[in-house]
Order: sequence, then structure tokens, then C-alpha cells
Amino acid sequence: MALAKEAYRELEEVVGKEYISDDPALLDCYRYPLSHTAIHIGPYYRVYTPRGAAVLLPGSAEEVQGIVKVCNKYKVKFKPSSTFWSAWGFPLEDDTIQLDMRRMDKILEIDDKNNYAVVEPHVIGATLQAEAMKVGLNTHIHGPGASCSCLASATALGGLGPDTLYMGHHNENLLGVEWVMPDGEILKIGSVGSGLGWFCCDGPGPSLKGLVRGMVGTNGAMGVFTKCAIKLYPWPGPATLPVEGKPPAYKAVLPDNLRAYTLGFPSWKAWADSCYMIFDSGIGYVAHRQFNMFGRDLKGAMVRILSDPTRTLSDIEELLKDPEVQKMTEDMKRDYQIVLAGMTPGDIEWQDKALDKILEETGGWKVKAMLEPDLFNWSLLYMIRLGHKNLNLVFGGGYDGCFGLGGTPDFGTSGEPARVEQVTAFKVEWEKKGNVVACGGDGMMGGIGGMGGGGHSLWENFTHFDPADKASTEGTFEFFNATAKYGAEKGLGPGMEKMNDYARWTDGYTTPKEIRDRILGSAAQPEAFRYQRKFKETFNPNDLGDGYYRTLDDPDE
Amino acid sequence: MALKDELAGIVGSECVSDDPEALDAYSKDLSFVKPVKPRLIIKPGSADEVQAIVRWANQTATPLVPVSSGPPRFRGDTVPSVPGAVIVDMSGMKKIMRIDRRNRVAMIEPGVTYTELQPELAKEGLRLTTPLLPRAGKSVVASLLEREPTLIPRQLWASLDPLRCNEIIWGDGNKLVTGDAGNWTSMEDAWERKQAPAGATGPGQADFYRFVSAAQGSMGIVTWASVKCEILPAPHKLFIVPARKPDDLFDFTYRLLKFRFADELLLINNSSLAYILGDGPGGIKALMKELPPWVVLVGIAGRSILPEERVAYQEKDIADIAGKSGLKLESAVPGARGDDVLKALLSTSREPYWKLGYKAGYQDILFITTLNRTPEYIKTVKSVAEASGYPTSDIGVYVQPLHQGANVHCEFILPFDRDDSKEATGMQQLLTKASEKLIEQGAFFSRPYGIWADMAYKRDAQTTTVLKKLKGIFDPNNVMNPGKLCF
Amino acid sequence: MALEDYKADMERCSQCSYCKWIPFDQVKSWRFAKGCPSIAYNNFLSYSARGRYAVALSLLNGQSTYSDRVVDIVYKCTTCGSCDVSDKICRYNLEPLEMIHELKFRLVEDGQVLPQHTALIEHLRKENNMMEKPAAGRGDWAEGLDIKRVPGESAEVLFHAGCRFSYDEELQETARTAVTILKNAGVDIGIMGENEPCCGGRAYDMGYKEEFTRLAENTIKAWTAAGVKTVVTPCADCYHAFNRLYPPLGAKFEILHTVQYYDRLIKEGKLKFSKTVPMRVTYHDPCHLGRRGEPYVPWEGKEKKIKNQIVIYEPKKPRYNGAWGVYDPPRDVLKSIPGIELVEMERIREYAWCCGAGGGTRETYPDFSNWTATERIEEAKATGAEAIVSACPWCEMNFKDAINTSGDKMKVFDVTNLVKQAI
Repeated sequence: MALAKEAYRELEEVVGKEYISDDPALLDCYRYPLSHTAIHIGPYYRVYTPRGAAVLLPGSAEEVQGIVKVCNKYKVKFKPSSTFWSAWGFPLEDDTIQLDMRRMDKILEIDDKNNYAVVEPHVIGATLQAEAMKVGLNTHIHGPGASCSCLASATALGGLGPDTLYMGHHNENLLGVEWVMPDGEILKIGSVGSGLGWFCCDGPGPSLKGLVRGMVGTNGAMGVFTKCAIKLYPWPGPATLPVEGKPPAYKAVLPDNLRAYTLGFPSWKAWADSCYMIFDSGIGYVAHRQFNMFGRDLKGAMVRILSDPTRTLSDIEELLKDPEVQKMTEDMKRDYQIVLAGMTPGDIEWQDKALDKILEETGGWKVKAMLEPDLFNWSLLYMIRLGHKNLNLVFGGGYDGCFGLGGTPDFGTSGEPARVEQVTAFKVEWEKKGNVVACGGDGMMGGIGGMGGGGHSLWENFTHFDPADKASTEGTFEFFNATAKYGAEKGLGPGMEKMNDYARWTDGYTTPKEIRDRILGSAAQPEAFRYQRKFKETFNPNDLGDGYYRTLDDPDE
Repeated sequence: MALKDELAGIVGSECVSDDPEALDAYSKDLSFVKPVKPRLIIKPGSADEVQAIVRWANQTATPLVPVSSGPPRFRGDTVPSVPGAVIVDMSGMKKIMRIDRRNRVAMIEPGVTYTELQPELAKEGLRLTTPLLPRAGKSVVASLLEREPTLIPRQLWASLDPLRCNEIIWGDGNKLVTGDAGNWTSMEDAWERKQAPAGATGPGQADFYRFVSAAQGSMGIVTWASVKCEILPAPHKLFIVPARKPDDLFDFTYRLLKFRFADELLLINNSSLAYILGDGPGGIKALMKELPPWVVLVGIAGRSILPEERVAYQEKDIADIAGKSGLKLESAVPGARGDDVLKALLSTSREPYWKLGYKAGYQDILFITTLNRTPEYIKTVKSVAEASGYPTSDIGVYVQPLHQGANVHCEFILPFDRDDSKEATGMQQLLTKASEKLIEQGAFFSRPYGIWADMAYKRDAQTTTVLKKLKGIFDPNNVMNPGKLCF
Repeated sequence: MALEDYKADMERCSQCSYCKWIPFDQVKSWRFAKGCPSIAYNNFLSYSARGRYAVALSLLNGQSTYSDRVVDIVYKCTTCGSCDVSDKICRYNLEPLEMIHELKFRLVEDGQVLPQHTALIEHLRKENNMMEKPAAGRGDWAEGLDIKRVPGESAEVLFHAGCRFSYDEELQETARTAVTILKNAGVDIGIMGENEPCCGGRAYDMGYKEEFTRLAENTIKAWTAAGVKTVVTPCADCYHAFNRLYPPLGAKFEILHTVQYYDRLIKEGKLKFSKTVPMRVTYHDPCHLGRRGEPYVPWEGKEKKIKNQIVIYEPKKPRYNGAWGVYDPPRDVLKSIPGIELVEMERIREYAWCCGAGGGTRETYPDFSNWTATERIEEAKATGAEAIVSACPWCEMNFKDAINTSGDKMKVFDVTNLVKQAI
């Protein structure tokens, strides 16, 4: 059923003719190819998310409210997205109204005393960071990188990133929210709700921030977040990043108080020990096992390619034969990247000494090749700006993480052999089938510190494939079925690969109820999803969101 | 069956009390909240018992008032708002369930006090950052759930830190475990897999534990919680940075917060510091005069890796930063030595509770704001106090940076003689007038106890509406401490 | 290549949004972070490289058909190539700019054209220029100049003025100056005058590939017949056409932009400055001289996969990622002029913001084109410069028009103008 003409007209009145369209080809730009992932389902070859009924570009919270009220009047589902990074920003049902938030892109305030910024949905990591740096501040940039919406990360999606150790999970950084609720009412959470500014997200009384999000957000299924305040962090560097070099191998020569290292370790036990020592010592500005996303066997060659503008992927095989690259790859086998940022000369000196002490105690090392000035400056810029994050798609165009080794550093690294080696061996066997990139089985990547101050290391095993290749896509899907089964049998916890199965199914539409209920009902605490159902019934009475909101619709008891 | 017998059937008769003296003690506290006598006091020993109590309360429409900390109590939150309530005294649930040094988390029941927890943590080389001199019987879980400020702002990534996972019995009788532990099917399996209850958020797409924070027991009852600990510091020094006006300390404090230097970091005036350090009313009075008008207390700690070196460079750098603001990092100032202050900060309060050492009663006014705005609030409280005839020199001020400096807890401590009805009436008027002015000025009463509830919720109608709906979900029969907040 | 040949690219594009911004490493502010004028102005996702991939795929798959909106989406692109540079930060196997051209070609083939373009192309066919002027007047700009006329006379270097410099009365003086400077510096230079052909580059960017090919083949034939070895042009569009689009058609000429020639002459001591030009200026990199001005590298090969699913090309394929465009010569020329203070805008070199004149947008979407130019002027103003200098007549005109509309005081120069002032 297409959108009623009357409804379209009313929506048009809200945003203006220029900012609404129902042209079929234009609507097809607002569909996500599920042969890709980065969405933690599938991949499903040549399946697309459903086509929306219309796309709107609201310019203010008032316009968003107007749209939501029209949607309530006509009982039409709506789905907002800011930077459209993955499938959860796209409808699960036909004829959904899509809100593209890109016109709401302002940084409304940066308070450089109390260290926060107030932003609209389409402010991205790169722009907020650039503005914050001008006043000696920085912002957490979450895993998908500098291209993504800061607000979406803080309110509606995940919120973890390589700098989480120092700059927190974005959940922790959220200091206030303006929320057009699914019923069209505007709720301002925390001090801003009382008209007192954006400095505190809790209160008065029980914190409604808990309704906005948990470990993850509501994926655009519970209204629209139109503004939020985000806590900022110190930036002890220049007001503008002094970038040099030719694309894509940009580098930044930064002052000596900013240092990027790749650390290598002789065993997984040593690797985990070092994580704990880093948490305990409080050193580190960015810490992440980042370059391993290219795979244990390929990362040395890839680092060489990415840092040299004359090279292409066609150089991989030649580089793999280079003894220096082989040495570097071996040195980086059990690794992670860390950036130290000293607020004073004394601070950087102590942090570096503390790091050396940690390496001494664990038998670890600073990977020598990564200390070459070009690579040092390249990786420093890479880790600070996180402006190359979509390199996870570099090989064939598709990737997804699998296996869930999230949790304490000990979790992934313990076992006999270490769990990370168990899953590596499992993946190596599947790589032999030819459908995913053969990278040595270990594409485990993730943060060293999945919350402010450390505590978690979050690992997913990157699997690369070609979404334009049927065999590769379908073979990857089979592989993910196998990893999910393996993870369940081995008690590894939920992997990324099936994270959104509860929401979207193989045809790109909402997962059938019985499957969804089975998935959510088998969670450790289905009760959480029963409460979420009550939240939905209470705050989204016309059910205008979608299945990304996890609700268990079985009887309470 | 009589009420007492019904409850005895859940917890055993020895854990149900209708002792008039005990009931009387729970009927009031040291605030101006109107006394209401409860019917019974029940002391559960397990989460299952708590769950059974809450289910029973739903069946019998009996109001429950959860209480975890020992007396004295000050803010009216544990005084029943309605007659016929049953006090659920959680102080008997005292297990320290687990201390995990490697992941620096401890799991504790709500009856565990700071006094009890710290020595056990110390055995493992850990400690828990505390509020400012909690009273000896203060429940750790209750303190954290009430979002009481703690002393080390650089460690506060999250606004509810160091509180992490919680087991909650909601007002509807359902149980939910929040945070990392909420994703586990069995604790034993989790330990086997070397997991730890370290992450606070979730499960699912809600942060359920936030709904029980600052809820004054109106949403549910927490039956265990995990807390993130710090490494037991050594060496640990405390420096004092004196100034004539609070504003003079702001650049320095902001710089430390931005750099995330220093450990304990708080601004305090002479009166507050005298209440902490002084001995008896006379000693306090004398100390007030001797102490500098304002100080920043700066703790510097070394932990695990190169601790001495850390303390040395921070001491030097912080002194430099102070120097740039025309300030000095002192080991001692007239009336106070850093070592003594540190000792006090690392302890629970001596008896009587430090805010009661000067006079037999006190009223505090506390809210959240930003550091740069605190002078205007100080001015307001002083001017209202002056107009009320309250001695302004007695006003204790405590400003605690929180959430790594994004905001501060601003607290005024106003000692008065409770037994002097004139003073008490004057204080009640002062409290009302000052609170009204402060809230108008921009003070955010994020934990709105007593009279602040109406003031705070009047300013934010939509939050009030949503909170009421939320309360309806978790406590549909309104059995959990009814009458508090906006409920 | 045909549009269908880019289907794998369309399916491999993952909607990362890099195409909308300048390379993130280079973002210096919120204000000047955008890279693609088309999405910046039009907002809907379809007006980005990703959107155009999706539109193309939708059309190829028969999920949608041509509509006014589709035509608008396809043509409202300046083909500036910003998306191409930013995409290639992370993607080594996508060619969004090539695909956008193929999409335009397809619409033209299918008759989905804009009337303004049709009129221009009709005129081009008849009169051999993009300025809607008679062919006969093409050489008028050089009237009175003592310059050799090719092919009647032979010269080592052919000066190709291009359509706009030939016909735009406001700019003709620049062409006269340029050729005179080169001649005075001892270059054996000639022009083709009224016989000079249109390079076809702008027709190519509008989607008229057939027309371009016809013009290119004619030009190559004419130059070959005249014994031309080296061509120098003051027009960035012409430079790009000759440098990048002609070689695949068999052209083997040395192609230089005037700024490159000036730079060479200055460094050889053959061009010297005697006057001071006290001015704070900023330099605008024309897309066709900068990121699209990389030299053509012959390649013939095919896609293959290694390590199961890594997409590479055999033999190794040249990677046009904007790194090797003409960026330093114009800057070096400006820096060598006494008194000139060169200040840089935030978006420069391979990630420069487009002037808004390309891809046929100036002719069809004047508001969009003007807005794009105004954005650049705003960026130039933010540097504190009193003048914006470029090396392309299309950029220059678009800036001048934008300034006339807004009433700004910013001056606009070609590098040649300042060189002349210093001699």
C-alpha cells in the first residue's frame, strides 16, 4: 500500500516540496544492499532493504516532530538515519517514511571549559574533532570511523571505538538528549530538560538516559534524536592536524608528546597481561587491534601498501615475499596499536617509561618497522582521525565480523589453545574453501578497553568477501552459519555475524515472529525484551518503529 | 493470617519486627520531611526473599520502603510518605560475593558498608573511591545508586561510576540483572570463561540500572551490585591549594580536569574543611578562622606501574600549573596538613557524622551545575542566609567535580540546632527560599529529595510524564516507596 | 567500457559516505569539510557517487525507469572528481568518476538529455565551440598579435587557447598575455586561430562521448598533420582532455598547461620578474588540472582475484587517486612573484572544492553552479586573501559571476594576469 496522497501532502507541508521525494530511483538510493554486511546479518546475495514510501530531509526538531505526528495520524512507519552506514538505518517494511537527517548538521556549541559539544544528527566524527581540536579538545570517534554521525553513535547505535580506553564509550559521553519520541512528543533528558544547559544527562530522579539506549541503541526504531551533548576530551596537539603526503598515504608529523606504537607480544597470555597493566596504569589515548582487520598474514603487506601512494592491492603477493615484510608480519602476529598522548613533557615521558616497563614485564616489544618515521606518522594520523576506517572493505568490498570474543582480555586469550587461536584455526579451514579472503584465519580486531578506563577488549574476526560474487557471498553466509554454531557450542557468546538476525531476515524484511521470538527468548534474560515491549507499547503506541527494537511479544510469564 | 506472620513466612520471624522503638526510628530522619510511621520492618537475607516480599506487596497493595544504610539518615527518602508501609531493611545482606583483582571489580550485597568493604579490598590490593567521608554505616550500593559524588573525577567516565552491574527486583516482582552479567546464563560459566561483571550497560537497548538510580527506592530493590575498584594507591599524597575566592581556583582546577591529572580533586571552603578536621564545636570554630577561605584538595597517587615516578612528575607539573594561576601547591596550610586531610578523605566519617560535629543538626542543599557557575550560587545562598539571619560564616561549601569535569556537585552544608525550634523554623524557611532561588538561577536538582521534588519536576513536565509512565511499567501497583519524587 | 561493466562496482559500493566529504584526514573545520558539491547542495543521497551507483543499478536492474528526477540526479554533477579521490582513500577497486561518466553517456544514448545541453551540442557540431558563438570568430582574440599561425607556419609549441579564452571578451586578454609571455621568453610558439578545434572535454563531461570522440579525432588529425609535438594551453579543461582523454585515442603529444610552462621558464631563468605585486592571494586548484590532471598511463588488463577474494587487476592497473595532478607549478609561479603572499584555503590540491562550472552544470543549473562558486569564494575569504587565483577560464568566470551576484569584493585572477603584472 503506497503512501496516501493526503499524507504525502501533509508531509510536504512540514518540510517543503524541495525536501521530500518519492521518486522510485531516488528511493532506491535509500536501500541497503544486503549482499554487503557491516550489518551483522547475511550476507544475502542481491537482496535489498525494502523501498521506502518517501524520503524526507527535515531541517529542525520541529519539522521532525511534524513528520512524526503525520506518521501517527496515518499510522505510517518511519525510520530516521543520519549517515546511513549500515542496514539498521534502513526500513524493514515497505512504505516506510525515511528521514534523512543530513540537513541537521550543526555543531551548536562547544564548551571548552566544561568539555562538551552539542550537536545535531549529521555532525560526523571528523568535523567535530576538527572543531574540538581548535580549542584543545577531542572527541571520541567510534569504530566505524570519522564518517559517521556522532549523535547516532552516542544515542542510537553502538558507541565503541579505538579511543574508548581514554575517551569512553559514547554511552558514557552522552550528557543530554533531545528526543522526538515515537508519539511525537519532545523529551529533553537531563539538565537540558529543565532548561538549565547540557551538562548532565541524569535526573531529576531516575535517569531517563536509560530509555535512550543500553550497550547499544534503538537503531532508529524508537523515535528520532535531534540533538545531543557529548563529553569531549583533551587534545594536547596542534589546532589543525598538519597532514602531509599524497593520498591515500597521508601522514601527520605531530609534536613529540603524541606517539603511535604497534606492540607485539610473545604469547596471548602476555598480550592480555599487557592490557591489564595498561588499564591499571592509566596510560594510553587510543588503543586498538586495528590493522589486524586485514588478517594476521596480510597486515604487514597492507600497511606497506596503504602507506605508499604508488602501491595497489596488486602488490600484495610481491610484498608477501619480501623478508622485511615477513619479519614485520611475524612481529605483529599478536599485536595492537597504541597512541600515547602526554599532556606535559613529564606526562609523555612517564607514559612511555610505563609502557616500556609493561613491555619488559610481559616480554613484549614495540614493532620496529612501525617506528620508521613514515609508518609512525601514518599510523598516528590513522588512529587519531580514524579517517580510513572503511578499509575494512578494501579487499572485495564486503566484510563482517564474526565470533564474539568480547569481554575481559582474559576471555579471548585463555583456553587451551587460546580461544583466539581456536577460532583462527576454525576460520583457516573455511578460508580453504575459497569464498572468503585467506588472511591467516586471525582477523580479530577490536578495542583495548571497551569502556572508559579499560576493562573489556572487544574482538570480532573480520571476514572479507566479494558482495558482487554470488559464490563468495553465499559461501560467506555459510561460513557465518558455521561460526555461529561453533560459537554457541563453545560458549563464546553471541558473535557479530548474527547480531541482527532477530530484526531482519533473508528477504530483507522483518524476521518472522516465531524466529524472532525464539532468538530473543533464548537470550540470557528474555525479561529485558519483555520490558522493552512495554516501553514500546507505552511510548510508541502506534508501533511506528521497526523490529530493530528488541521486543519479546510472548506472554509475560 | 496476620501481616507479620505472612512476612515471617517469607523471611523467618526473627527478621520481622514491629518493635515500636524501631518503627519510630524509621518514621523520621534529620530532614524536615513529615514523619510517618511504618507498620513493620522486614530484613530479607536473599534476593529470593526480596522478590517474594515485593510480590506479596503487590498482592496486598502494601507500600515498601527499602533502606540499606544505617542511621542517621538525612534526606527523607527512607521516611515513608504514606501510612502502612513496610520497611525493607537490606542491611542484613552483607555478602562480599567476589573480589576480582585482575579485572578490578567487586560484587557486593546492599548491606555492605564502606567500612566493611575497604579492608577486604585492601587485602587484594584494591580500594573503592568513596563519597566525602561517608558515615560508618553507609551502604556502598545505596550511596552509588543515589548518585552520591565520589572524590576522583578523572576516574568517572560514566556518570554512575564506579557502579557497574546490578541485580534488581523491580516493583512488579520481576528480577533483572543489568550490565555484562545480564548477558550470562550462569555465574559459574562466566567465571570459568574468565569474564567479569565490569560493564554497566544493558542488557538490551536500555540501561535498566539508570532507572533505579536516584530513585529513592521507588522503582525496585538492588540485591547485589558490582563496583569498579582502583588499585590501592602507594605512594599517595595530598596537597592543598589555597585561595581567597573560589574563582581564583577555577583555571587551575579546569586545567587539572582537562589533563586528567590528580586523583582526589575537590574544592572546599574553610567551614567545610573545619567540619571535616575540627574537633568539637569550639575546635571547628577556631579552625574556620585559621584555615584559608578556599582550597582545592589535590590527591596524587601512584599505582602499580612506576608509582613513585608518577607522583613525582604529577607533583611537579601540577605545581607548575598552579603557579601559572598564581597559586601554590602546599603540603600544609594554616590549620591543615595534607597528610591529615588525606587520612580523613580515605576514611569513613568519625562519630558524630562530620556534618553534625558543629551543631546537632544540619541541612544540606545539593545540586549539579558546572564549575564556572558555582560563584553565583554561593552568592545566592549567602544572601538568603544573611536575610534569614543565618551566620554566613557557618555555610560549608563543597564543590566536587564529576564525570571528568563535565559538571560538578555543588553542596551547601548548613549546620543548625535542631532542638531550637526557632533555628529549625528559620532553617526550613532558608532551605525553601534558597532552593527556589537556586533552581531559578540554573541549579539542577538531579536528586530531588523532599521539597526539591516539586520544584524540579515543575520545570520539566515532559520528563515528569515519562517518568510516571516508566514507574507504571516497573511498579504498576505503586508499592515501591510511594509518594517520593513525582510518583 | 559500458555502464554494465561497472555493475560489480555498484554492488561493491558499501555506502561508506566517503564520497561526500574531502578525505577525512584533511578535514580542518566543520565549515569546509564537504567535498561533493552535488550532495552538499541537493542533499538527497542520490546526488552523491554512492547515490549515482544506486540509481545506475536501479536502472540496470529495471527497478526504476527514467524520470525527471533521474535526469536531474545524473546531470546535476560537476564531474569534479572529489568523490573519486575520497573513495579511493579506502577503496582500491572502485572507479566512481568513470561510472558517473558512463551513466551520463547512457542517458545521452537513450535520449534522456537536457534542452540546454542539446542546444550547446548542436551548436558545437555546427560552430566548433562551447560558447555558442560563430566558428569564424574563434581566432579574433589574437588579432594583432605577432604570433605564428599553425598549420601555415610551423612552431615548436602550439598554444591552444580553448573555447572560453577564445570567445569570452572579458578573458581574451589573458590568452593574449599568456601567448605573448611565452613568446617573449623565447618559446617558438604558434596558434591555430580560427582553425583551433574545440577539445571536446566539456562535451565529454556532459555525457556526449560520441561528440567528444569526433572532436578529439579531428584534433589529433589536425595536430598530426601540422607536425605539432607540444601543446600548451591556459585552460584546465582543455589540458585534461588532451592529457587524459586523448591518449587512449592514439594521441602522443606533450601537453602542458601554461602554469607548467611558466614554472619551467622561471626555473630555467628565462622568465624573470622585475615588478612587485603586493597582494595576498589564494590559489584555487581547477579540478581538471589538479585531481583530474594526472597523466594518462596506458593499461589494458582484467580483474582477477588473489587470496580467494581480493580484487586486483592484471597487469597492475594505474590508480588515479588525485595524487599526481598539477599542484606545485602554479604555486611555485605565484611564490616566485615578488610581493605575492600565497595563503592556502582549507580544501586544496586533490581535495579542492570545485568552482561549480563543470559537467555542464553551469549551463543547466545556474543556481547550483553559482552556489558552488560562492562556497569557494567564502573559503577564499576565510584565508584573508584579497584575490582568488586560478588557472582555468571556466573557474574564473564562475567565480566572477558569483561575486557579481553576491557583491563581494574578492578579486579573481588567472595566474597569467599576475605574471604579467610582475614582468
